[in-house]
Amino acid sequence: MENRLLLKHYNEPGYHTLDGYVKFGGYTALKKALKMKPEDIITEVKNSGLRGRGGAGFSTGMKWSFLPNNNEPRYLLCNADEGEPGTFKDRYMMELAPHQVIEGMICSAFAIKSKKSYIYIRGEYYKPYKIVEKAIQEAYKAGFLGKNILGSGFDHDLDVYRGAGAYIVGEETALISSLEGKKGQPKLKPPFPAVQGYLRKPTIVNNVETLAAVTWILNNGAAAYRKFGTEKSTGTKVYSVSGNINKPGVYEVDLAYPFKDFLENECGGMKEGFKFKALIPGGSSCPVLTAEEALKSTLDYENMASLGTMLGSGGVIIIDDKQCMVDLLNVLMHFYHHESCGQCTPCREGTGWLEKLTSSIGKGKSQLDDVATLDKVARHMMGTTICALSDAAALPVVSFLSKFKDEFEYHIREKRCKVKGNCHAQAHH
Amino acid sequence: MPKLTIDGKPVEVAAGTSVIKAAQTLNIPIAHYCWHEGLSVAGACRMCMVEIEKNPKLQIACNTPVAEGMVVHTNNDKVKDAVKWALDFHLINHPLDCPICDQAGECKLQDYYMNYGLYSPEMNQRKVKKSKAMSLGDRVVLDQERCILCSRCVRFTTEVSKTHELGIFNRGDRCELSTFEGRPLNNNYSLNTVDICPVGALTSKDFRFKQRVWFLKDFETLCNGCSTGCNVTVSYNQNGVFRVRPRVNQEVNGFWMCDEGRDIYKHTNKEFRLDQVIERNDQVGGAAVKGKPVALAIQEIGKSLSATVKKGGLESIALVVTAQYTVEEYEALFELFKNTVKSPHVYYWKNNEEDFDSFDGLLNRGDKNPNTKGLSDTMTKFGFKGTWEDFEKQATSKSFQYVVVAGPEDQSAYPDLEKKLEILNKAGEVIWLSSCKNEKFKNFKWQIPMKSFLEKEGTFVNFKGIKQNIKAGMSIIPTSLSLQEFSKGVFESMGGMA
Ligand SMILES: Cc1cc2nc3c(=O)[nH]c(=O)nc-3n(C[C@H](O)[C@H](O)[C@H](O)COP(=O)(O)O)c2cc1C
Ligand code: SF4
Ligand code: SF4
Ligand code: SF4
Ligand code: FES
Repeated sequence: MENRLLLKHYNEPGYHTLDGYVKFGGYTALKKALKMKPEDIITEVKNSGLRGRGGAGFSTGMKWSFLPNNNEPRYLLCNADEGEPGTFKDRYMMELAPHQVIEGMICSAFAIKSKKSYIYIRGEYYKPYKIVEKAIQEAYKAGFLGKNILGSGFDHDLDVYRGAGAYIVGEETALISSLEGKKGQPKLKPPFPAVQGYLRKPTIVNNVETLAAVTWILNNGAAAYRKFGTEKSTGTKVYSVSGNINKPGVYEVDLAYPFKDFLENECGGMKEGFKFKALIPGGSSCPVLTAEEALKSTLDYENMASLGTMLGSGGVIIIDDKQCMVDLLNVLMHFYHHESCGQCTPCREGTGWLEKLTSSIGKGKSQLDDVATLDKVARHMMGTTICALSDAAALPVVSFLSKFKDEFEYHIREKRCKVKGNCHAQAHH
Repeated sequence: MPKLTIDGKPVEVAAGTSVIKAAQTLNIPIAHYCWHEGLSVAGACRMCMVEIEKNPKLQIACNTPVAEGMVVHTNNDKVKDAVKWALDFHLINHPLDCPICDQAGECKLQDYYMNYGLYSPEMNQRKVKKSKAMSLGDRVVLDQERCILCSRCVRFTTEVSKTHELGIFNRGDRCELSTFEGRPLNNNYSLNTVDICPVGALTSKDFRFKQRVWFLKDFETLCNGCSTGCNVTVSYNQNGVFRVRPRVNQEVNGFWMCDEGRDIYKHTNKEFRLDQVIERNDQVGGAAVKGKPVALAIQEIGKSLSATVKKGGLESIALVVTAQYTVEEYEALFELFKNTVKSPHVYYWKNNEEDFDSFDGLLNRGDKNPNTKGLSDTMTKFGFKGTWEDFEKQATSKSFQYVVVAGPEDQSAYPDLEKKLEILNKAGEVIWLSSCKNEKFKNFKWQIPMKSFLEKEGTFVNFKGIKQNIKAGMSIIPTSLSLQEFSKGVFESMGGMA
């Protein structure tokens, strides 16, 4: 069942404006937070068990506590780059409830003692950008941003920065490079951003949804948040669902919600004439699950890990029986090939190789041992690079091949598609 | 100081040292393309992966600091497989131009393929095409297809020369090294990028297609281009010298040298050299007589000098020296002048006064002589104080019978040479000691061929006072002399007069 903690008032008209937001209890978390000790906010967030919603699922409170305990300037960056294929929840949240994110940011900034934050929003998100920009102006006017916020003595400024259309700047250190005005490519770690980030100062990068959840947690308390989900996956998660289902869209459910229920209830089941074949649970970088695996799974960090995949960004991609896995993988490989920043040799060269291999398999221009090569190339791109894009490209390959190898071999042997007879991958040619 | 073991060998290094450096102290090789000791860490090539126990993933040795008790493996099956694949990723789109590539023979792709590769390639797809033979500036050519995007050259222009000409443009396997628009690679350190390029992507216009590297021999010496005294390696064969590259010396030049220094060998090659004695013979109307055996010429010079000395008159013989010779040579020559010729008229010929003290902030100095300090120290030791100004005051009208000149080896560093030659001519009969020929010397009484800095050994003292040695790496003009040999010959033919 849907459990709208964050999305509760999203359908109220005008909720995206300051008045609408305040009408439904907006900015009470900020008022509360400004009366707390910053350390206590961090403890509260730690106790809530909130895990980053950008993909990696790292404990938010823990991340904040890595900041050095000194008076250096530090920055908070909201990651609104949302580039992961299949993911469109941050957009929805920014369009319908920008103040929820902004409030979460001001509270978080207060907690980590940051006087300046940025929302880094992907260039393609023009409408959300306009809405967020307007909301920030409103917040300034209302005294929620700027000097001496609500008489607390706390100063904070917030700006929006628009990306230029690269997936890789969603990776937090690439985002920092881009914000610094450099080519948007990841930085070598260590040092980690919490120690040396934006302008070489301590920096925290958090996802839109993570920061929105901070607002809820401060309003309702860590204990209330922990009531939902499991011990290690607390609270709710917002999913964006696509595929041939009856009700694609954005849904918020408890963590550990059974996928079967999610598919049948929230997603309204498969469209007529389509059978559920496979699931990519958290954006294109997550290993695929077969229908059988998926229907037994629950949507939380631990269960997904036990199945060898990830909850990722919450970009749920539902694959039906009319989809050719070779074609699908080729589309993904085209994406990663196009988006690799090119710094690390295995990723720069490997992503191109993967695309070429999947494309020639799709076109029936391959030999059988190309399947083994594809697998080997992908495996040697894993865990060997500066950022996780290389793994993100490789993981789907390995999982597609281990679970749908027959479709690949069929393409090679029969020179046509097992699913469609004639599929897109072939048609490219 | 943390203690760790690498491939079973214990080592103790300073905290903060990287694993790759620690391995170097044990002579354990770790493959690498992007890492260079003189540059920041890029961590891009992923060739230097090693296994560190208790770490699930392989780590890059160039960006991993050592830690107490660390156990590192550089050569087990897991590492070998990873390095092989990292290498293969470098090669899948590589054009394999080896037969026409200048780098062949000293290419890290070739070397590592022999060490870590030796597989048959599995890449059966179309390769990425990029531009070839692009001129990046006056001295450097780029082949984008051969470039492995290690970013060493980019980091060099950002961090060392700070001239910012190079960048990597585009993304993924469309990445291309290039210059920024309107910013050709023309800084005075540009050829260092060619040296540090691990492959044949950057080549030197001067060296391109001149020689296969396996036909070259190397020897180590110093650059004589300015008073910094960069340590260099000279590559040569029977056809002459082909290139000069820097050698690491943290006290003097770090890892680098300037482009000007790359040309220091140019004047030493045969075609520019004074390769025989030339004498102006007044009996045949001042025509040049060439080819008198050097020993004979020296004997005659010695005789004329001793006759002049006997005639008396302290004004009769002067010595003018440039700062282009070794300390040992000055000592021999000054010894001769102090004790045998007994002339106090020893003058230091300083060149390009205007920018003599200039410095470009990195290595290159306005003093274009390798041994100014060595010369002034030796003059002081012998009690000689004469400057060119003093000489000029004395030299107005044949005030000397003879003027012995240890002239510049590299004449290009003496922009006002012609003017100075006129003054010398006015001062007396010139006995000109020089490595290179020049029509303008034709009025001198004697021209004696001298060794270049590549053909003799001895000490140069750099601007900081650091004593360094040059080596006799090769013989180019076999009949040429050092100042010691000249001095000894003259001394003997003067009858060892004391
Ligand atoms: C290739 C790549 C792309 C990423 N894209 C995004 C993104 O679009 N949005 C996002 O929030 N996190 C993205 N991340 C994750 C961020 O690096 C970072 O972990 C996250 O923003 C941290 O926020 P969180 O702790 O709130 O999840 C990406 C990571 C990688 C490796
Ligand atoms: S893994 Fe790929 S995207 Fe990430 S830094 Fe390396 S080359 Fe760039
Ligand atoms: S760079 Fe190396 S491998 Fe490439 S063509 Fe030149 S010599 Fe051959
Ligand atoms: S040109 Fe050479 S040094 Fe520069 S990035 Fe390419 S391979 Fe590296
Ligand atoms: S040498 Fe370590 S990554 Fe290139």
